[in-house]
This record gives sequence, structure tokens and C-alpha cells, in this order.
Amino acid sequence: MSGRRIRNVLRKEWLLMARSPSSLLFVAGIPLLLIGQALLLSWILPRFLGVDVPIASGMAEDLGSIERFRILLLDQFRFFVLLIPAMVANVFATLSIVEEKLTRTLEPLLATPVRTWELLLGKVLSGAIPAVAVAWASTGLFVLLAIGLGWGPLLRSVIDPSWHLSVFLLTPAISILSFVLGVIGSSRASDAKGAQNLAVVVVLPLFALIAVQVVGWVRFTPPLTLALSLGIAALDVLMLRLAVRLFARESILIRWR
Amino acid sequence: MIRTENLTRRYGQRTAVDRLTIEIAKGEIVGLLGPNGAGKTTTIRMLAGMIAPSSGTARVGEYDPAREPEAVHESLGLLTEAPGFYERLTAEQNLAYFARFYDRIDTAAAVERSLDRMGLLDRRRDRVASFSKGMKQRLALARVLVHNPQILLLDEPTAGLDPEAARDLRKLIIDLREEGRTILVSTHNLTEAEGLCQRIAVIQTRLIALDTPAALRDARSRSAVRVRLVRGNSGLVAALRELPFVENTEVTDGESLLIVAVEDIDRDRPRLVARIVELGGEILEVAEERRSLEEVYLDLVREDA
Ligand SMILES: Nc1ncnc2c1ncn2[C@@H]1O[C@H](COP(=O)(O)OP(=O)(O)OP(=O)(O)O)[C@@H](O)[C@H]1O
Ligand SMILES: [Mg+2]
Repeated sequence: MSGRRIRNVLRKEWLLMARSPSSLLFVAGIPLLLIGQALLLSWILPRFLGVDVPIASGMAEDLGSIERFRILLLDQFRFFVLLIPAMVANVFATLSIVEEKLTRTLEPLLATPVRTWELLLGKVLSGAIPAVAVAWASTGLFVLLAIGLGWGPLLRSVIDPSWHLSVFLLTPAISILSFVLGVIGSSRASDAKGAQNLAVVVVLPLFALIAVQVVGWVRFTPPLTLALSLGIAALDVLMLRLAVRLFARESILIRWR
Repeated sequence: MIRTENLTRRYGQRTAVDRLTIEIAKGEIVGLLGPNGAGKTTTIRMLAGMIAPSSGTARVGEYDPAREPEAVHESLGLLTEAPGFYERLTAEQNLAYFARFYDRIDTAAAVERSLDRMGLLDRRRDRVASFSKGMKQRLALARVLVHNPQILLLDEPTAGLDPEAARDLRKLIIDLREEGRTILVSTHNLTEAEGLCQRIAVIQTRLIALDTPAALRDARSRSAVRVRLVRGNSGLVAALRELPFVENTEVTDGESLLIVAVEDIDRDRPRLVARIVELGGEILEVAEERRSLEEVYLDLVREDA
């Protein structure tokens, strides 16, 4: 009956989210900001910078250097989008257990037959699912706007197999990781701030990821993207198990009086 | 139904519950009575499998809460010290959330039955944030009952309620007892314990007394006669203290009210009255002095400290 319990946690978390308009606004705000910024940069930067971008494999040979630079920027969006779950997790996942402690709902909750892993998985999915949905919606909106700006032909060079792997595999894997870390932070920290500090650790590697490929040290070829996604998915499972072990029911109850 | 043996819990250096041994029969309602910090919540949390004992054992129903907490949770209703609800959700949503963690129950029906029983059915669609303290406490009891548990652990159910709300809640608890449920209820309200419970366990880290309210009172009550005089007279008091059957004499109200402890109240009362009259005392009133359970309790707790 674990399925029923996990769905129960999901439903309750979503009900609470729906009743908290300010946080919904926040979730909607981040992607719009990211999209706006990505498009603006793609539009403006190539005009000011007379850079010459080497032709990467798969890139149309007959494109001018402005177009090539623009492709490079448009290509960044799939990495930017990874920041969405990380940032959403930083706000929601970190609050999830802390809030239960503050509202005193944790003790009655733990007095039900719910297993720790059911509760934590429910919490993680309740955040990761909407985060992935928002990430995908933003990617879709980004592509549509780019086409609207007349960059459809350029997108043909951007949307390749590695792009698909990144959007459909890497993004969900990173989302789950962000929320698992948030939940760990939330169950170990003594307040929301502490939990958020813990959860920030997921954002930093993401910036590193963006940096290494912008600088050109690493190219995310399909095999590499696949390997990275699977590696993170494995890490998700490990970290969730760790979260369950770190969730010490007793000390959570008695440290919070 | 509930049994503990030398149940002990320490927090660091401090012992919160010390070698508590107590047994509660099926269908019995027992009060856990003690001052602040006596270890009531700690005991209840150990029985509910929320925290582990440092030593000793407990059995709730057929299970050991320290070893099989989930099995205990299936059949146990725990009323926690703080009600604790998701304030932005409605009463119904809150109850349904907790109910769905129990397998094999029909959530909608269970929630409705529980709300109805606590008189909250007409407020089911209201957010808990709009509830008064008394309503929240009733909702908390509705949550305890939602899976129809036969064993209830209630931690200060009437704390912070006004007298009327407290009385209503006590009535509900008595109904629960009459349905044959086994109940352990903690409180520091004596009248409440006396009105609700078949037996009272007075605890102050250790168990100091465990008996029916009547037996607790009788065992500890001295035989004493209360005598009110028209006016005080210190010579008289000194003379009474000399009497062989008088154990103790307390004087208040400017020596006009005497509480005279005697060996045997039926034998000694007439003799005492005769002697007072002989000594020239003018008696307004003579009565048997019965000690309230509260005095017994305060005595127990004070003696122990
Ligand atoms: N989480 C904790 N950490 C450290 N000490 C604790 C903790 N919980 C309780 N204690 C200590 O254990 C003792 C018993 O506390 P407990 O809460 O069980 O008492 P209580 O009888 O429920 O009191 P009250 O009537 O105030 O609710 C107290 O001395 C308290 O300070
Ligand atoms: Mg208490």
C-alpha cells in the first residue's frame, strides 16, 4: 500500500502549494527570468562582440559567425534550465520537514504507520514533479519564442540527440537530486535557513557544469550526457537511502520542543 | 493491554522516567497524573513508539513499541501534546490526509464518522486556521479516532480549554471508555483525573502511587475532626494537645478553627467534644475532616520531592 501513501503525501503537498500564492508566483517567476535572459543575450551579445566561433560538429557550415555564436548561446538554455529545479528545491524541499516541525504536525504524522521512505519519497516527488514540469514548459516556451524571433533554422543545430537526453533525462535526474538534498537539509537542520544553506550545495556543481562547457573544456556529446544522467540517477537512489537513514525520527522529535 | 516494566528514559544526565512499572487492563481508563516535568509526555511517547526507552520494556496490545512501532501505530490512537494541523487545509482535508496512511480503511466514511462524533461535521470545509483552540482539540481527537483504535494515549486532552469545552471533551472521553477502549490519559488536573479515571498513577519521574481515586484518598486521609469555636482560646488548645488520643492539632482563624487529628474518629469524636465543653469552649460546629484528593496528591508529590 506504499503507492497509496506516497500519493497521499503528494496530494497534500500540492494542496498546500496551491494555497500559497506567493510561492507559486516564485515558481513561475524563475523560468520567465531565465527565458528572458537567455533570449536577450542571444539577441544582443553577438552584435557587440566580434567573436569568431569555431564550427562544431553538426553545425551548418554555411552560417556566419554571428549565427554560430547565437547557436552557442541558445544551446546554453538546456543547462540554464537545470537551475529551475535546483532553485525551486531550495525553497520548497528545505521547508518541507522544517515546516512540519514548526506546525507540530510531525509527531501525529509519525504516529501513523507511514514508513520514513514513503514520507520522504512523497516529499521529494511532490517537488521534483512540478519542477520538471516547469522546466519542460520553459524549454517549450523558449523554443517557441526562439522560432518567433526567426531563429528556427539555428535551432536545428541546437536540438540534437544530446539536447533530448539533457532535457528528458538529465533534467529529471537533477531535479530529484535537488529535492533529495533539500529534504536531507530539512530533516537535519534546526531551521529553514540552515536547511537552505545545505541545499545550496546542489546549485554550485550546476554552475560548474555550465562553466566547463561554456569555456569549452567539455562537450556534452550524447554518450557523455547519457552517462552523466545515469550517474546522477544512481546518485538519486543512493541519496534517498541516505536521507532515510539520516531521518532520525526520535531526535527530530526531541530536539524540537 | 498496556504493560510497562521498569520503563526508564534518560535525556543525557537527566532521568525523565525512572523504572516505571504499570499495567492497564483492556477497557480500563487510567490517569497519568503528575506536575510539569514529571515524565508524562515522555512515558506516552515511549508507549507510542515515538522514542525509545533507555532501559526497561513496554507492551502495547500485542507489540513492543520499541521493536515494532509500525504495528503499534496501526492499532493505537495518540493525542499529542500539541494538536498540530496544516492550517491552510480544511478540517476534512487534514483528517483525510492522516487517515490515508492506514491501510484497509474507507477514508471518506471514516473521516465523516470521526468529524460527526466530535461535532465538527458542519465545519468540515473550513480551514483549520479559523478554528478555536477547543475546536482544534476536538479535531485532534477526531484524528486520533479516525482509524478506530482500541488503545488510546491522550496527552493532556483538556489543556488550555475553558471549563465548558473541557467538560464536553471529558464527556467524549467517557463515551470512548464506555465503548470498551483502553485509555491512558495524562493530566495535571486532579478533578479531571478523579472524574474520568478508574485508577490514577501519580508519577514524579518514578511512580509514587497507583490506585483508584477513592482508595488513594482513604489510604492517605488521617482521621481528623474539625471544630469551629465561637472564639479562640490558647489554653484550650494546649489542653487538647495533652489528650492521649489526640495526635495533632492544627489551629487557624485566630484559634477559632481547630483541626484535631485523632486515633479513631468514631470513638474519639464524642470524647473530644466532651473535653472541649469541659474546658469552657463554645462549639459552633463539629465535622469530620475529609481530605480532598488534591491534598492527597500535593502531599504525595511534596513528600517525594
Ligand atoms: N527532548 C528533551 N530533551 C531533554 N530533556 C527533556 C526532553 N523532553 C523532556 N525532557 C525532560 O524530561 C522530564 C520529563 O519531561 P516530560 O515532557 O515528559 O514531562 P511532562 O510530565 O509531560 O510535563 P508537562 O506537564 O510540562 O507536559 C523533564 O525534566 C524534561 O525537562
Ligand atoms: Mg507533557
